[in-house]
Order: sequence, then structure tokens, then C-alpha cells
Amino acid sequence: MIRTVSGSPLAPSVKVKLINAGFQTAADLTEVQSLQLCKAAGISQEEADEALQTLHDHSLPLQQRAAVQGLTALDLLHQEESWGNIVTFCSELDNVLGGGVPVGNTTEICGVPGIGKTQLCMQLAVDVQIPVCFGGLGGEAMFIDTEGGFVVQRLVGVAKAAVEHCAALVEDEEQRSALESFTVEKILSGVFLVRCQDHVELLAELHLLPDFLRTHPQVRLVLIDSVASPFRQDLHDLSQRTRLLHGLAQHLTHLSAQHGTAVVLTNQMTTKVSPGHTHLVPALGETWGHAATQRLILHWEGAQRFATLNKSSSRKDATVPYNITVDGFRDASISVSSVLSHSPAAGSHSKRPRTENQHT
Amino acid sequence: MVLLRAGLCPGLSEDLIKALLEGAVRTVEDLVLSDPEHLAQKCSVSYKALVAVRRVLLAQHAAFPISGADLYDELLSSTSILSTGITSVDNLLDSGLYTGEITEVCGGPGTGKTQICFSVAVSVAHELKQNVTYIDTNGGICANRLLQMLQEKTMDSAEQMNALQRIGVFRAFDVFALLSCLQNLRANSLQMGTVGSGSVKVVIVDSVSAVLSHMLGGKQNEGMSLMMQVATELKTIAKDLNVAILVSNHVTRDGNNQLKAGLGQSWSHVPRTRILLQRGEQPGASSSLRTATILKSSRQPCYLMEEFNLSPQPQEESQTGFAGKRKLDTDS
Repeated sequence: MIRTVSGSPLAPSVKVKLINAGFQTAADLTEVQSLQLCKAAGISQEEADEALQTLHDHSLPLQQRAAVQGLTALDLLHQEESWGNIVTFCSELDNVLGGGVPVGNTTEICGVPGIGKTQLCMQLAVDVQIPVCFGGLGGEAMFIDTEGGFVVQRLVGVAKAAVEHCAALVEDEEQRSALESFTVEKILSGVFLVRCQDHVELLAELHLLPDFLRTHPQVRLVLIDSVASPFRQDLHDLSQRTRLLHGLAQHLTHLSAQHGTAVVLTNQMTTKVSPGHTHLVPALGETWGHAATQRLILHWEGAQRFATLNKSSSRKDATVPYNITVDGFRDASISVSSVLSHSPAAGSHSKRPRTENQHT
Repeated sequence: MVLLRAGLCPGLSEDLIKALLEGAVRTVEDLVLSDPEHLAQKCSVSYKALVAVRRVLLAQHAAFPISGADLYDELLSSTSILSTGITSVDNLLDSGLYTGEITEVCGGPGTGKTQICFSVAVSVAHELKQNVTYIDTNGGICANRLLQMLQEKTMDSAEQMNALQRIGVFRAFDVFALLSCLQNLRANSLQMGTVGSGSVKVVIVDSVSAVLSHMLGGKQNEGMSLMMQVATELKTIAKDLNVAILVSNHVTRDGNNQLKAGLGQSWSHVPRTRILLQRGEQPGASSSLRTATILKSSRQPCYLMEEFNLSPQPQEESQTGFAGKRKLDTDS
């Protein structure tokens, strides 16, 4: 066992004392009792107990832990397939994302005010609940609202449209029975709303989230709308902000991979001034761009809304148009979407609820 | 700082240790640094025994000199160069990743760092039929994309599955998990011996900055020490197990708005070769065009630049590839 004391998650002061006493690796500590350790290293009984526990926990079942953690890429492929995607109800965007927002990953949505970030979040919160027999996930959603942009009337509208949409798709008995329980009330009760006022509340909530997800395993989607506003308001120490944000990003990535949930963050845009011209870039600084696995930028092009996949480890960058209608997040127009609906990629998702089905 | 223990070396008995403890000599370091004559008087132990023990301990803890000729022979017989699967990046790296070395790719978000990692994993697992360890720290790994890359290389699905099985994925989301993962890797490989089919040829860490950057700076003094531990561990693995190590890193901007690699000066000594990725700048160029520039290398001139394409196929072909993959999903 080469596990070192200095590389273990102990308090720095305890580590220094242990190392000064000559305890370098977990192997040095295996035969030591906690009382002995107190005396030898000059630490309190509690600290000694904790140190032994940590190092034993980490060294003894390490083989087992590694066996659990270490997957082959093939296992991972099966896992990704079983986790699935959350459809956005915009078939072109689904194509770009490879079937929707991936579960088990983090996705960031950036855009100027009024472009539809919150609308897309609400749409996803509804879509994650589409029953499995309709090609959905049958999950629930957690909505962390930091801007106060969550409007429940709007959610009702989007939910109603989704229920109607599924009703139009019913083909067999299984779907009919599933539809009976898929109502607007059911959808509303499947969205947990948390309102966070500042970054402290947000960070606290995120640290409680693992417990919440453990007790509510059906939650497959965590939305944070938006991550930018608390961090842009009250933090003036920029390096502190960057560190907090990095920590938050790691925490969310861990969460999504461990619990098999999709994490969707929204972010605002800011103006970057370079000599000669200005352009809009996502807020929170350039390094924050590494935080999410996928980044989607929503923007205007004349009177048309467009979504650009800016960063993804699995899909090509692409730009597609979309619309926001009374029913929620939808394809831009039938004429544009019908071109793509004949492509093999779209055709292979026939089980998924599609907007073009609704229009025809 | 190894504690003095009975049986550590011949001649080091319990009595001697007890006597030394009275002279406040607890570790090998203490013993080696103290003057034996003085110590023998202070602890009233035999000077001869002390000198003997000291010599043995020094020999045990010292490294052996190796002649350059032997080193060169070893280099010729054991070093292999692993292709990254991207021709222009191979050119830049003087034909690929060298075993026993740490190579770093750095770049902003969406510049293709993870894609290069995937490409290396796929090319080593498929073309060289060697094992790959992929440590994912930012959730960026996507098996679907790996499969897609394999499908571009071969249509045989059994071969694709075999290649995927050679890629071992570990997910470590904090620095302690990363360290224990690396330490475990070293312990396991030493146990198994370096020969045999189970040996790993390349270790990929994507990305080191994700777990380290939030621990650096401010009032936290531990981050730097943890970063150096990760560096030492990576170097030891590269040398001892003779594997190629590929790490990814983010970039920051300095005062003049110039890009520089993340994690600061101390980390910049760790990788042997460092390349910077950037998006192609010409307007109208394909969105998947990237440039790679050498920032540090012991074999190639610095600031050598190459262009490469993340998705070499035209749009239509990748669409059919996607549909084929979906068909496979429904079959399984």
C-alpha cells in the first residue's frame, strides 16, 4: 500500500503532526492503536481516531472501491444508454444534442435576457416526466431558482401542452393507461422548487442535494436558474469567486455522474470589449467555460432565435433555429424542421414525442 | 522520513532503537543527519554498530547511478511512441506520445482537449491493442463518442467492443480521489509485474486543472502541496511503469491578454511536452478546425504550429454514422 498520509483528506495540521512523527503512509499506521498515535504524534484522541478511520477506510476496502469505481468504456456505454436523454421538444436541437439533454452530465445554457433560458428549463422540467412508454424518462425535476424567474402559471401552460401532445400520440393500451396518471397536477407535483437568494444559500442547498437525491431517486434533472446572478451580485473578490465556482462545478459534475441526474445550469451574457469592437460572451469569466460538459448558447439573429452548441465532448458544434410558443420550447417552423425530419437520425427516434407529429 | 524500526536493517535491534530514542533520534533521517561520534556518546551505544547501521541505511535509501550507455540501450528497447490518431498532432509531437513522459494539452473551453484524449484512447486501444486508463475528473467522458470514433476506424462490432473493454475508466471528482486512484494504479501494476497482458500503456487524466484549480490561491496553502503530490505521482507512474501520460489543462490570460496554461509556474515544470489548442481563427472556416501550437518540448522547436480537424468527415457522413449507432442501440 503506497497511500500517503499527505495525500489523504485530513486536516492539514493533523497531517503535519503525523508526518513529523514519522507516519508517512497508510502502511505505517496499520498496526498503531489510537492511544499510541495520540502520544506519538501529539494529537487529540478524536483526531487520532479520525485519522485512523480515514486511512483505514481508504486503504482497506480500496480494492473494492476501485473495483466499483473503475469501469470499462463498454460498461460506461451501457450506462449512458440506460440513462437516456431528456427531449427538448425542438427536434433540431435534439438532433444536435444527440437525442436531448444527456442524463449524467452537466449542461450550461447561456443567453441574453428574454431569449428563453428559463423557458427551456421549464420545458425540460416537464419533459423529464414524460412516461417511459412515450420515450421519456418518467422522472422528476428539482428547480433551483435564484433569479425569481420561475412562474408557475407558465409551467401549467407548458405541462398542459405536453399532456395534450402525449395524448395525441397514444397508440396502444400501455400508453393509454400511462396517460391516465400523466396529468398537469402530477407534473406540477413532480417539480420541486427551491428559491435561493444569494450564493451562500445556493452553495448550502447544493451540499444538501446529495441527501435529497438519495431519498428521491426519481429526480433525474436538477436545474439551476441561474448560476450567474448570485455570483455576479455579491462577490467582489474575483479570485474567491472563481474558486467557489470551480468547487461548485466539480460538486455538480460529481453529483450528476454519481446519481445519474442531468444538471442544467443557466448563465447570463456579458459584453467583452476588445479594441475596435465589442461582442457578447457568457458571464462568469473564461475559465468557467470548463465547468459544464456541454454549453449551449441561445442568441438572436434578426427576429429569429437560434441555439448554438458551443462545447460538447460528444457532439459537433452546430447552430439551429427554435421558437418559443404558447406551448413552450418548439421547432422554429414546420418548413425548416420537415427537412430534417426525413433524415435518418430523426427517423430513428420515432418513439420520442415530436413536435412535427403534433403539427401534422 | 521513515521511522526506525527493528528489522529495518541488520544490526538495528530493539535495544539500539530505544537507546537512540533517548537521543531524540526517531527516523532514518535523524540518524543519517546526526554525527555518529557525538550520537554514540550521547546515547551510550557502540560507535561501530552505529556506523554500520548508518552505512546500511544510506545504501538502502540511495539511488544507483546508471551509465548513459545503459540508459540509451534501455531507452531503445523499452520506449514506445504511441500515435494520437490525429496526423498533424503526431507531427507536432514528433510522431506521438512517448512512454515515460508526461504530455499536456491545454486550451480554452471547446477547443478539443477532450477530443484529443478520446482519440488517443481509441487509437491505443484499437490499433495497438493496449490497455488504456482514463481518469475522468470533469465528467467529460462520453462512451458514445468513443464508439463513434471506433466506428470510423472499423465496422466490425466485435472489434469495437474489444477496444472499448481495453479502456478502463475511473471517475475521480476531487484531488484526494485522484491521488488514491493514481496510488492504487501504481500499487496494482507493481503487484502484477510490468509484463503480462494486463499492463497499461497510457494513462489519461482529463483534466488535472478541474480538481486542482479551486484549491489554489487565496488563503489555502494546502493546494500547492496536493498539486505537487499529483505531479510526483504522475512522474513516478510514467517512469516506473513506463507508460505515456496525457493530461489536459485549462488556460488563463495574463496581463497582456495572452493565453497561458493554467495552474501556474510550478505546474509548468511537470509536463515534458505542452501543446496549446485554439479554435481556427479565419472567418468562414469550418467550426471544427483547430490549431495546435507547441509551447514546450524537448524534441521539437517551440511555437511550431499545425492545424487539424476534429471531425474529418463531411456533415452527411457523420449523420449516417449517427443513425448507424442508433440502430445498434435498438438491437442490443
